Amino acid sequence: MNDALEQLLQNPRVWRGQSDASARQGLATGYPRLDQHLPGGGWPPHALTEILLERYGSGELKLLMPALARLSQAAGKPRDDAADAGWLAWIAPPFQPYPPALMQWGIDLSRVLIVRPRQGSDALWAAEQALSSGNCAAVLLWSEAFDHAASRRLQLAAEQGASWAIAFRPPGARREHSAAALRLELANGRTGTDIFILKSRGGRPAAVHGVIHDYASLPGS
Amino acid sequence: MVTPAKTPASLRDAGPTSAVTRRRKPPPAQQSLALTPAAGTAPAAGLPRAAATRQLWLCLYLPGLPLAALQCAAAEPVDAVFDEQQGLRRILLATPAAAAAGVHPGLSVNAALALVPGLQLAARCPAREQRSLQRLAGWAERYTSFVVVEPPATLLLEIAASLRLFGGLQALRRQLLRELDSQGFAAQAAIAPTPLAATWLARAGQRRCIVRPDRLSGTLSTLPVACLDWPAAVTDALYGMGIRCIGDCLRLPRAGFARRFGAARLLQLDRALGRLPDPRDKYSLAERFCADRDLDEEQADSELLLRLCEQLLLQLERFLLARQLAVQRLQFVFYHLQEPATSLALGSARAERSMAQWLELLKIRFERVALPAPVISIRLRAGRGQPLTATSGRLGFAGEGRPGVPIAHLVERLAARVGERAVHGVATVAEHRPDYAWRLRRACDDTPRCRTEPHPGHAHRAPQLLADMRRTGSLLLQRPLWMLDAPAPLACRDGRPCYEGALELRSGPERIETGWWDEAGIARDYYVALNPAGVHLWVFRDRTGDGGWYLHGIFG
Repeated sequence: MNDALEQLLQNPRVWRGQSDASARQGLATGYPRLDQHLPGGGWPPHALTEILLERYGSGELKLLMPALARLSQAAGKPRDDAADAGWLAWIAPPFQPYPPALMQWGIDLSRVLIVRPRQGSDALWAAEQALSSGNCAAVLLWSEAFDHAASRRLQLAAEQGASWAIAFRPPGARREHSAAALRLELANGRTGTDIFILKSRGGRPAAVHGVIHDYASLPGS
Repeated sequence: MVTPAKTPASLRDAGPTSAVTRRRKPPPAQQSLALTPAAGTAPAAGLPRAAATRQLWLCLYLPGLPLAALQCAAAEPVDAVFDEQQGLRRILLATPAAAAAGVHPGLSVNAALALVPGLQLAARCPAREQRSLQRLAGWAERYTSFVVVEPPATLLLEIAASLRLFGGLQALRRQLLRELDSQGFAAQAAIAPTPLAATWLARAGQRRCIVRPDRLSGTLSTLPVACLDWPAAVTDALYGMGIRCIGDCLRLPRAGFARRFGAARLLQLDRALGRLPDPRDKYSLAERFCADRDLDEEQADSELLLRLCEQLLLQLERFLLARQLAVQRLQFVFYHLQEPATSLALGSARAERSMAQWLELLKIRFERVALPAPVISIRLRAGRGQPLTATSGRLGFAGEGRPGVPIAHLVERLAARVGERAVHGVATVAEHRPDYAWRLRRACDDTPRCRTEPHPGHAHRAPQLLADMRRTGSLLLQRPLWMLDAPAPLACRDGRPCYEGALELRSGPERIETGWWDEAGIARDYYVALNPAGVHLWVFRDRTGDGGWYLHGIFG
């Protein structure tokens, strides 16, 4: 293959059916059954992930915790002098993320940044700033004012800042287009949280049942 | 001081200090010069010369200050400045272009306007001149640690110790004049071992450079009396006596001179010649920055306003750089003609002095501010300066990763738009009551991490810790990831709490009690409950009051 084509294919914005998107190693979710269905074996790095859910408490945070904990610990190593990387930004969370619980999951609290804007448009703006700053390993966003344009902006900002964007949206967003690399829908099933992969760049839609079956399960238990 | 009572001593020879003048005209000088040492400063005879060799003063005299001060504050160029004397408005200074058209100092304003109809005139503003002079003094401090401000239009710089750094006398003078010129000021500069001599030389427009004290009296003698800046009555009297230059003054008998013109004038002459020490007050820097930018007419164009703000920020940066300071708070005030002023406060997470950084914050804030009316004047005020904490950067080869941009920049940008209180970090607190087991903290601290986090390794150890606890079967407290700001009361049906349906208690109770020491005591039984929608909740029964049920957290 010639160089130009090779370059083009390396561009993360090029969507290729189910070819080797695994070229980019995913960020292991901590849930092996889910990893199997994700291209790259985990969360798509430097991209936008959308999580659709009916109600808070569907295991949405537990789903992310193992990966977030690893990100924050990787950056918090003592050798990492003044370089301010590896922050976890929480933009407009609906409730208070509870620090003792975050610590139980292994999150480095000194790298947690919480932003509570008053307006929805501010939340998007703040997420974009945090993503493109290069300081944040992951940015979690809860915003009502989310549309296709916003998803594109976040996706680009995530690529630019080499960060992982996670947007939480209501299930109605299923019908809207999105530039996200990965879209999941969460639902509380009979055996725990069911995850439906709606869109996966380089993968294919799937349903994984009962991924998180214990309300307070910690990784490995 | 010189008093008639001391006159008998004047007959004594003054020793070495008298040498120069004595050579010129021995008998009167001998008689007069003796006065000063007899005035109680006998050792002073030898002292001034030694002191004078150590000092070298550069005087910057700014004759065009009234005009230049106005020009650098106004948006449109001013052609001439006038002041009012005895009810007459007369031209004080004019630009070269205006002067070429015939607008000379002393001309009445009406005559000047008749000569050049479109002449831009402005009234003299002494306060602004002084502000300009202070600002220049701050600028001059980068060349020496000792700057003296001599109103109305003179700066004195003690440069003996700065010569080697700046490449010698001439190089330093050239650099000073060039930089003054770039700021819009033209100066006459002269160098002499005493401050007064330098001042007089500069005032006379002589570009002399006197380094050796023994050359002083020879050079000063040729200067006209007018450059001494003495009151008109004194100079007129001197002219009446046929005295034209300083040399003539020096030839007069000291006692008579002091009696006629005041001992203070004699003292000035002695100081200028280096016979007596001339202590000066050092200019001390203003602690806080404050600058104005006036507009000729009201402006509403935000692009233009931002550009003007940028100029103010540039001034601020210079100010801070000279002091090795940084500030954390800035305030822009936009004045309107009719409406009350609009104030815009900027804050940054850590002390900052870079103009670019402040400008970025300003732009974020500015686009969200609705100015009620066009702006006529802008003021920038800085908060208290803090010593700049410099951090050493990383060497290029040091490793992987992008060059680290401090998180503080991100925090500042976010705080500028959403408000400072809306951006924060969190920390845990060693406390058994769930409400108090955590606190907000500032998003980024400049203090080293080990001080803010007592156990830096704790977070990394957590997974290991958890695994150990699980293996040994020790109790791990179940805490939800989502917490409500305050417990929400739950409805009860048939004695069972409900939240989107009746709750099913899965585990518990976990009893958490007391807190009498801060009057926020609790007595609660916490349960993990499951609602019909499959959401796990953290609820408690309050054991103090009516035994009601509350929702406190959600297992997200």
